[in-house]
Amino acid sequence: MSKLELENVSFVYGKGTPFEKAAVKNVSVSFDEQATIGVIGHTGSGKSTLVQMLNGLYKPTSGRVLFNGKDINENKKDLRSLRFKVGLVFQYPEYQLFEETVEKDVGYGPKNMGLPAEEIAARVRRAVEFTGLDLSVLQKSPFELSGGQKRRVAIAGVLAMEPEVLILDEPAAGLDPAGRETILGEIENWRRANGATVIVVSHSMEEIANHCDRILVLNKGELYKYGTPKEIFGESERLSEFGLEAPQVTRLCNLLREKGIALPRDIYTVDDAFGAIEAAFKGVGADA
Amino acid sequence: MLKDITLGQYFPGDSVFHRADPRAKIILGIVFIVAVFLADSPLSYAFLLLSTVLMIAVSRIPFKTVLRSMRALIFIIIFTSVINIFWTRGEHLIFEWKFIHIYREGLTFAAYMVIRITCLLCGTGVMLSYTTSPIALTDGLEQLLSPLKKIKLPVHEFSMMMTIALRFIPTLIEETDKIMSAQRSRGADLSSGGLIRRAKALIPVLIPLFVSAFRRADDLAVAMECRCYHGGEGRTRMNKLHFGLADLALTLAFAAFTAGIVLLNKVPLNVFN
Repeated sequence: MSKLELENVSFVYGKGTPFEKAAVKNVSVSFDEQATIGVIGHTGSGKSTLVQMLNGLYKPTSGRVLFNGKDINENKKDLRSLRFKVGLVFQYPEYQLFEETVEKDVGYGPKNMGLPAEEIAARVRRAVEFTGLDLSVLQKSPFELSGGQKRRVAIAGVLAMEPEVLILDEPAAGLDPAGRETILGEIENWRRANGATVIVVSHSMEEIANHCDRILVLNKGELYKYGTPKEIFGESERLSEFGLEAPQVTRLCNLLREKGIALPRDIYTVDDAFGAIEAAFKGVGADA
Repeated sequence: MLKDITLGQYFPGDSVFHRADPRAKIILGIVFIVAVFLADSPLSYAFLLLSTVLMIAVSRIPFKTVLRSMRALIFIIIFTSVINIFWTRGEHLIFEWKFIHIYREGLTFAAYMVIRITCLLCGTGVMLSYTTSPIALTDGLEQLLSPLKKIKLPVHEFSMMMTIALRFIPTLIEETDKIMSAQRSRGADLSSGGLIRRAKALIPVLIPLFVSAFRRADDLAVAMECRCYHGGEGRTRMNKLHFGLADLALTLAFAAFTAGIVLLNKVPLNVFN
């Protein structure tokens, strides 16, 4: 049994009105534990709706969301405690900051959990350190920080609850390339240190390829496939059919293969590509 | 998406009411309200009811939608009719029990009241809120009030403020929704506890909302300056309002309607004798 499972989950917006629209259609998946799972799909494919069902913000129109084998929507009163175990970081989370100091803001979640003050303080420090912020920001107002720092404070606010499953909706959107890479690396470190499961929604195939162990592909609300990056990116032609591009390095290798260089189909990181190209050219050298 | 459509009560369509000039609709709306209060006999009330039903039918807005908007006022309607039934004194007593006296006049007056309120709401709803987009409505209002510029009233600025406010209602609703979800994800409990606890629980929602409203206002001001906005002075419009065929048709129909009410008031018909 997996910790987090979806069972024939569908979600319809505005059911029974002329504006009815199915956002998620009959998705069943059981998420691997202690892994980083990427969720990809074209704009409007239902990614954000799907993740908001995972912590009970949206109730599926039909189907069940199971956490530790139990339907999370069975008892409405349990939803609040579930949200401490399944943490969700929204898109552009910096717009939810509100406290006078960073310390209080990051401590808002743990405080809602009813933890003692020392425990809150310890968690806040740990979370802030994981996001690569200097501890000197703790006494500052979150509103005087830079955009990237605000983003980190907001992510720390969810990390401080130390959830078993951490969901991030486009955590790196709108950051500079260096910021994108470090934020994802920090989340990866946090996951390893806490033995948690991380689910990341992203538009960037490079990010997904470099950080995820499993990938869930959504197409117009339907589950296309849940599998390893090798499985998903090995069929990059299929991905382009529904508006998704394979990582640039995969596309480069595909082009090289069309030119007659023998490369495997399932390359998705620069390191793999480097090794494979090197091997291919060594072969050429040996022939000559 | 759904949130954009529920802005106001505007119900997109292509009826005579939708096509008519907002200025004409505002004026005819006032005419309609006056006509409703002119009605004074059983026949004219029947005519009023019939005309309102006809208006809704012509506007092609589902009856269900129009009636749903009455839900909020159902209490007022019931309250006024109860008051009228029990407190009106007349000549024809039809029910008496201890201190309760019900007169026929009370019953008819209550019925009139119900018809009047219902027609007032449905009629003006069809004229204005259901068939006129909020932007067209403020545009119409601005032009109708433009003579007031002569006495130095900033009519254009007021209508621009109204337009912007209306434009940002759905945006702010969406934003509130998002912030509430985000804080709920951090364990905020927004829907339990006493009044003070609930008010306190709203702080994490209100502060980010204010911050983002100011940020948006700032962005919008910059964007407007970049496009050389400098107030209403010498500004021309992309969509000029014209008095067209639909307006003529509506004006004639309303003239007939008002005349009908006034004439039917004079018809000596007393159903009770």
